[in-house]
Amino acid sequence: MTMTPTTSDAIVKLDGVVKKFGDFVAVERADFEIGRGEFLAIMGSSGCGKTTTLRMLAGLEDPTEGDIWLDGERVNGKATWDRDTPMVWQSLALFPFLTVRENVEFSLKMRSVGKAERAERVHKWLDRMQIVEFADRNISQLSGGQRQRVALARALVTEPEILLLDEPLSALDAHLKVRMQAVLSNLQKDLGITFVYVTHSMSEAFSMADRVVIMSRGKIEQIGTPQEIYHAPRNRFVAEFLGSANIFTGRIVERAGENWMVETDYGRFAVPASKAAEKTVGDSVSFIVSAENMQLGPESADIPGISARVVGEEFVGATAMVFLETESGEELKVQKGHAELAAIDHRAGASLVVHWDSEACHVLPAE
Amino acid sequence: MTGNRNIVIEALLRLHVLACLIFIFAPILGSFVFSLNSDRFPSLPLGHFSLEWYRLIWEDPFVWSGFFNTVIVGLCVAVIATLLGFGGAYTDYRYKFVGKNVYLALALLPPTIPVVIMGLAMLAFLSRINLSGSTISVIIAHGVMCSPFAMAIIRLRLSQMDPDLEAASWNLGGNEWATLRHVIVPFARPAIFAALFITMAVSFDEFAVAWFVSGLNETLPVKILGFLQGQVSPGSTPSARLPSSARSR
Amino acid sequence: MLSLPLLIWQLAFFLFPLLFLVALSFWTVRNFQMQPDLDFGNWERILTRRAFWDAYLLTALLATASAVLTSLIAFPAAYAISFKVSDRVKQWLIFVLIIPFFTSYLVRVYSLQVFLSDAGIINAFLGFFGLGPILMLNTLFGTLVGLVTLCLPLVVLLQTFSLNFVDRDLVEAAHNLRCGRLRTVLMVIVPSARVGLVIAALFAFILSFGDFVSPLYLGGGNPPTLSIMITDITKSGQQWPRAAVVALMMITTLLTVAFLAIQFAYKERGK
Repeated sequence: MTMTPTTSDAIVKLDGVVKKFGDFVAVERADFEIGRGEFLAIMGSSGCGKTTTLRMLAGLEDPTEGDIWLDGERVNGKATWDRDTPMVWQSLALFPFLTVRENVEFSLKMRSVGKAERAERVHKWLDRMQIVEFADRNISQLSGGQRQRVALARALVTEPEILLLDEPLSALDAHLKVRMQAVLSNLQKDLGITFVYVTHSMSEAFSMADRVVIMSRGKIEQIGTPQEIYHAPRNRFVAEFLGSANIFTGRIVERAGENWMVETDYGRFAVPASKAAEKTVGDSVSFIVSAENMQLGPESADIPGISARVVGEEFVGATAMVFLETESGEELKVQKGHAELAAIDHRAGASLVVHWDSEACHVLPAE
Repeated sequence: MTGNRNIVIEALLRLHVLACLIFIFAPILGSFVFSLNSDRFPSLPLGHFSLEWYRLIWEDPFVWSGFFNTVIVGLCVAVIATLLGFGGAYTDYRYKFVGKNVYLALALLPPTIPVVIMGLAMLAFLSRINLSGSTISVIIAHGVMCSPFAMAIIRLRLSQMDPDLEAASWNLGGNEWATLRHVIVPFARPAIFAALFITMAVSFDEFAVAWFVSGLNETLPVKILGFLQGQVSPGSTPSARLPSSARSR
Repeated sequence: MLSLPLLIWQLAFFLFPLLFLVALSFWTVRNFQMQPDLDFGNWERILTRRAFWDAYLLTALLATASAVLTSLIAFPAAYAISFKVSDRVKQWLIFVLIIPFFTSYLVRVYSLQVFLSDAGIINAFLGFFGLGPILMLNTLFGTLVGLVTLCLPLVVLLQTFSLNFVDRDLVEAAHNLRCGRLRTVLMVIVPSARVGLVIAALFAFILSFGDFVSPLYLGGGNPPTLSIMITDITKSGQQWPRAAVVALMMITTLLTVAFLAIQFAYKERGK
């Protein structure tokens, strides 16, 4: 498993952390560190254990096994209110019976900060979040984006070393979401503190985070930078989760120069041997080819490839994702620019050949 | 378990719940025990076990006539109060109109007016229009006091209903009455039964108050309650067993 | 229209009787016969009588004490039921708390006499340790015990329902912002559940203010509360108009208290 390069500078360390609720295993085993000043995203679908992991950091749950270290201190069993791990809730959890100012002031009051200093620090954060004019408003009178800013100000007013965020943007519409992503990203860079950001959205995680943890059913599937994960998913789950990769599984039948020849259900394909150095003839191997590395050609062409029928098309910005179905009913995805696609007849029902350069293969190491 | 929980505090809280339950239920259980006790006025130590009081009540014709009266009144009140309550609950659920607050206040306020005052007002009013003293007047009075309970119960149920359900029924060609019959009423059925049951229970309890009190002496609360609860005149009912301290009045 | 039956019923048999009470308060009584009149004598007689204001003060104090006491006793229980027990236990407790509504209040009060009297269960228990006997029956304490018995199940239930609606995220958010256990209860849970807590206390006040069973059978009826006063006045020679004055004063008080309580409950912070 990948570790932060500078282990000693970790602010959070999870050491063999397991969390069970009765018979249900929420987190199977978490072993990772979060560096100081790092923006870490924990990503997965609902019920994968990402929120439970975050809640353990905040002290809202205690691990069943293993240790959690915060800033060099083992914090198992330490009450939430004795930790400096402010959190932004999915529901935002703003106090509806307090004004904006009183919400932001809350944790300063809890620390018995003097009145003058409280006022000053609250003002500073209201100003920074551009919500000074709403200071004396009731929470119910604010828009979604404004509430988001109040929640951030409330959590950050004590200037903590770490901020926990639990899907804070999921309630916003798409346009506002992108704007708030920028706000969060800049905030984290300016403050230089650690953000731990839980989300089910790949675009949020990949666009903001320095590193991403992908979880599924309580297990950590992969930890790495967005680039690493995108180009080199560790296993089939991650590859499928990313959504834009074609996955092939087969058996190595022979060596042909620099390549392994892999026998799959669709035929025999070359895979650079350097990408699966530890494998040998007879081993099974899975490799992926991402959709944008796939090529489409007319059926007559005598290029080795897979014959498939077009079933549909989806626009993705400047490109389009073409979905095809093989004779055995498997789905293939090809992503191409509109101009390139215009040259090919790819109406639904058209038969085409899908092929790729063997250098574009990535072997899944954990399969 | 996290560090946020404290076993000692939680144990104390549970003990407090237990103490509250004991406080609430001790008198209820006590009355059971005393009714099985041979002594006329319950005190410690208890006398021997006896079903005498139950036998006396069983053989008392006044008690039986009172009981039948109670059941008849209770049944009538339950039906009337539930019908009225359903109408009120549906009105609140469905319509917006000027003066709705006044309507709701009128519908829901009766339980907040002390029984003594309600009794005084109704006895005075109904005797002016020559309706006092009859079983019908009791049903009327109980209907006023019980319909808010029925309304509250049914209203709660209606608020759980998807507002589109009704529109969907209209959309499918059901007119307002058909929709009411085939959509609203079936949906509210559990609440309607609960309302019937609870309004009957409320009516029974009011009855019991009079039954006991009127055994003491003919004071106004007895008259008022006696009126509210129907003119039952018990002979040697359990009310006769009220200790002498209560008779000082 | 489904709205009309209830409206007509409540107008005819609820509002009109109460309005009639207003008219009645201006009537005169001659030779034990009531006569329609517009006479302020009844109001003058009652409102200038020391005994009335003594009873008024006593009733208001008893009702306030009962509302405060019941709320304070009920809150830890409601808090425990809402926050600290499993859903199954919660449902079971709520069911158990509904049972008292199906028992007669008068029977319960009667039974309480046996607990509180000089030779009663509690004093017997105290005597076992060489204590007492403590006079409890026919005292204000006795009345309060009865009123709390009357109000406690309702107040615990109302408080529990309102605490069930408190957003659990807010509680966790408070802890997360360094707010400890007790402080969270006072600064987050109580304000969140304010409407329900105030309404519960209001119900306790209304029930206690109008109750005459406890003051009579546990408090000994002396000094009298307003409800007892109504019965006394009516007993003495058909003085119904004067009883109506007392009743109207009670209703006015209850409406004022209810209005103020609801204003307070729904008061909004901020602009």
